[in-house]
Amino acid sequence: MQSTILHISHAQCQKGGEPLFAPVDLVLQPGEMAVVAGNNGSGKTTLLEAVAGLGSFCQGGIHFAPDNNRDSWLQHSHYIGHSLGNKASLTCLENLHFAATINGIRTNEQQLSDGLAQVGLHGYEYHYANDLSAGQKKRLSLSRLLLLNKTFWLLDEPFVNLDQTGCDWLFDCISKHISQGGAALLTAHDNKRIHQQADHFIQLQRP
Amino acid sequence: MRFWILLQRDVLVAWRKKSNIYQPLVFQLLIVTMFPLGLGAGAQTLQKIAPAVVWILALISTLITLENIFKDDYEDGSLALYTLSGMSLPVAVIAKAAAHWLTTGLPVIIFAPVIAVLLHLPASAYGILMLSLLIATPIFSLLGTVGSALIMNLKNGGMLLSVLIMPLLAPVLIFGAGAVLETTLGNTPVGHITLLAGCFVLSLTLAPLAAAAAIKVNLE
Repeated sequence: MQSTILHISHAQCQKGGEPLFAPVDLVLQPGEMAVVAGNNGSGKTTLLEAVAGLGSFCQGGIHFAPDNNRDSWLQHSHYIGHSLGNKASLTCLENLHFAATINGIRTNEQQLSDGLAQVGLHGYEYHYANDLSAGQKKRLSLSRLLLLNKTFWLLDEPFVNLDQTGCDWLFDCISKHISQGGAALLTAHDNKRIHQQADHFIQLQRP
Repeated sequence: MRFWILLQRDVLVAWRKKSNIYQPLVFQLLIVTMFPLGLGAGAQTLQKIAPAVVWILALISTLITLENIFKDDYEDGSLALYTLSGMSLPVAVIAKAAAHWLTTGLPVIIFAPVIAVLLHLPASAYGILMLSLLIATPIFSLLGTVGSALIMNLKNGGMLLSVLIMPLLAPVLIFGAGAVLETTLGNTPVGHITLLAGCFVLSLTLAPLAAAAAIKVNLE
């Protein structure tokens, strides 16, 4: 894997013309995890969306080494936000197949089933995403991460809605990804364990 | 490959929720049955207004379905999935428009003769009616993507969408209904059809770019 680094330099997002938080600086390398914390409404989601490429910064921005190209950043990152990106009227298998194909990855049904089994959705292949519980929907979207195999994971409150085993599983999953040379930038407002593990800790402050 | 998977997914989603497909048709049928009742007139009056009514119904019934082209994707987060996949946005827009046409425009075209029969449209005009709708319904879908992309993050954007898109669709209605009308009067519809085709080419080239820009603006 070629060395890739994400620089967030002096970045600030705004809402309604007012800056949301004091400027943020971060250098995130493969093998590291960064956690963004802050109160409700402090701009965690806005920051993560802007980093993912869904929003914009009013000041500063991100620089993606080596080539600072938007396309190569998109190729190396995957974002899972509050809206999980599952289509309610498609089955788990179809949702995962779409996510893989739209990201340019060819898969067969066996790989997709394995992907679902990895997140504990074995036996739900042909269930509609609409019929899943909130936690299971979360698991379905997290299955994308494992299948797409991107370096940078951008996760917005990934632990919300997961049960205890789910949280443990996700925690192990992120640790494994980090140890294999991946990187994760996530928001978690109340998970102490992930706060302690983080290489970088960003507390969003009022500007 | 990305184009096809997005098209395929959208058609599948529409197929699973069949009300999306038959709602415009039922809407047309309900309104067209009101015409003879309201007008209280014989076949001759109906024949006169038939080209306009068939066309307006096709237009309005499509209009009510445009809002959801991007709104659903925006709300469930799957818009982020393809905008962040590195896929070219205008290509994604064309895929969305194509899927919308397949699930809305095509049924409307197939259903148009039924509406036309109920209005006693002269038999000679059926071919041109179908042809004009075949050229025009993709325009509805393409311009619809622009409107839908503009209002996707608004709660009650449906009305705004209609107001935004209606003026753009007015020329399409004029040429389309005009072509059918000229045929019923025994004139050649070639001029109208050619202009309609011009509108199609124009919207095929410009609408995807405009819609892609609108998506970008709304995501920022």
